[in-house]
Amino acid sequence: MASVTYRNVTKRWGDVEAVKDLNIEIPDGEFLVFVGPSGCGKSTSLRMLAGLEEITEGEILIGDRVVNNVAPKDRDIAMVFQSYALYPHMTVYDNMAFGLRLRHTPKQVIDERVRQTAASLGIEQLLDRRPRQLSGGQRQRVAVGRAIVREPAVFLLDEPLSNLDAKLRVEARTFISKLHQRLGTTFIYVTHDQVEAMTMGERIAVLNAGRLMQIDTPTALYDHPDNVFVAGFIGSPSMNFFDNSELVERNGKMVVDTGYFQVEVPADRQQAYRPHLGKRVVFGIRPENIAHPDYPAPGIVPSLIEANIDVVEEMGHEKIVYLEEGGKTFLARMDPRADVHVGQRTGALLNMAVMHLFDAETEQALK
Amino acid sequence: MTNLASAATTEAQADRAKEQAKARRSMVILYVVLTLLLLIYSLPTIGVLLTSLKTNAEISREGVWNLPDSLSLDNYRAALQDGNAGPYLINSLKVTIPACVLSIVFGVLSGYTLAKLPFRGSDILFIFLVAGLFFPPQIVMIPLFRMFNSAGLYDTLWPMIIVHAGFGIPICTLVLKNFFATIPTAIREAAIIDGANEIQVLLRVMLPLSLPSLAVLATLQFTWIWNDFLWPVIFTRSDEVRTIMFGLASLRGQYSVAYGTQAAMAILASIPTLLIFIFFQKYFIRGLTLGSVKG
Repeated sequence: MASVTYRNVTKRWGDVEAVKDLNIEIPDGEFLVFVGPSGCGKSTSLRMLAGLEEITEGEILIGDRVVNNVAPKDRDIAMVFQSYALYPHMTVYDNMAFGLRLRHTPKQVIDERVRQTAASLGIEQLLDRRPRQLSGGQRQRVAVGRAIVREPAVFLLDEPLSNLDAKLRVEARTFISKLHQRLGTTFIYVTHDQVEAMTMGERIAVLNAGRLMQIDTPTALYDHPDNVFVAGFIGSPSMNFFDNSELVERNGKMVVDTGYFQVEVPADRQQAYRPHLGKRVVFGIRPENIAHPDYPAPGIVPSLIEANIDVVEEMGHEKIVYLEEGGKTFLARMDPRADVHVGQRTGALLNMAVMHLFDAETEQALK
Repeated sequence: MTNLASAATTEAQADRAKEQAKARRSMVILYVVLTLLLLIYSLPTIGVLLTSLKTNAEISREGVWNLPDSLSLDNYRAALQDGNAGPYLINSLKVTIPACVLSIVFGVLSGYTLAKLPFRGSDILFIFLVAGLFFPPQIVMIPLFRMFNSAGLYDTLWPMIIVHAGFGIPICTLVLKNFFATIPTAIREAAIIDGANEIQVLLRVMLPLSLPSLAVLATLQFTWIWNDFLWPVIFTRSDEVRTIMFGLASLRGQYSVAYGTQAAMAILASIPTLLIFIFFQKYFIRGLTLGSVKG
């Protein structure tokens, strides 16, 4: 059990900065997820912690020990790889026992721990098999087993679910979450999938182009994104953005003029936004906050607009409606009973209580 | 209706029978061709084997291809006693085994380093190493002779061991580097995090995985070195350090018409390579098809 600290960590490959001045404190026992598009530096950050990449600048601490120059084997970490990286020539038992054998653990202790871990993961009947005789889901469990059998202080997972099919992935998600609850160890998990991040992480660190964009709980990231990137990355389908909007006062009311429609800013936000009056802003609204006028969600602060219906995707539990106005397309997740047809002109209710405004230049949220 | 259906079934059956007949015909052709090829390839060996079992008188009377009147092992006795085949075989083993092992060990070390631990300039080093493959031995023959002579190693087995080990490194490096490159780097990293050092990764993870490649290399290297004739001729003079191939050739001078003894010695000389191939056969076939099938 240990905390992990990234202190001004930078990683450079020649002229390319893969990670820039990363500062994160991960308390002992937390499940932290690094998420971001490919090339954002999330895997590099994890690999620096594992000792598989050198740190160009700054320091990484495990507990209160700086580990920059500590060999991977002495960092008290274990890692699950995307490809699982099981040793193909060894049985499941030997795969799990390998690390313990290298540490000269007594044979009896190894046997006990391997069997115990295997039983807890439901893979005890596979101990004599080789990796190629296992299914994807079984391999994934063995990879997890190989990591936890050593009882590491920090547990690193590098996209461990991306080789599984959709159904198994959902199962494995709960399996890993439960595992974290049971072990209580620090988990650091890398993924490009924001759904995985949202469902598993206690806190999520969103990275882009080597920079930490925001770190917070899933709900906070969803409700209060710090910038356009996080707002667009978290949530699926992603937030609708209206880039060339303007915050103006008309007839004594504060409105956002998107160029396609105008919506009124709720009274409780006006105070905060007042300094930005007259400025160019990015207006953001999530598809789930655009409802059909016949089926408004309770408790919203509605603002009615009109738009053409471009495409309707029937999902069963909802309709994803592509609305079009003046050449700008945006999405709405509407009630499945909503009477919407392609080519129709429809009203749409925007829930302004959860609108987002960002500075058009810095792309930072206006708060 | 029933008639129509049964007619259709009969037609389908006829089609299937026709296809089966066609498949059988092509199998027959395949087997005939394979048998012919086998005969062509094995004829020399059969000839030598038959010759080795006949007396000299029989050979001159009836030629090579008749079956011997009685199986005589005299030629083998002669090869071992008069022809000195025993010591020659031992000399050959003394050269082949260490040279084989050395070239593969260096190949493993350089191949692993180049594939998994690249450093600045390692690509150029790789090209430099592999360029050794295209080095005609004749070019370095005289310098090597002079070098070993001045080192006092002329007329010993050492020059052969050193030269074969050296000339074997490029091919071993090439094959093993390419093989190690196919092993996912994550496996090495997993072992490192599990607590292995680089040597342990190599010995406990990489080498067990590369057994097929090692078997291919061992077979090829063994055969090449065993069958070599050039270097023993250049680096040795006395009978005590003669290898089997040189010994086989020099039999001609001593026993100018002793075809039987020569044939027996040739058979004896080919036994070790045959054994090596049989021993590694399983891996050899797998090694040759490495990477052709996924999984």
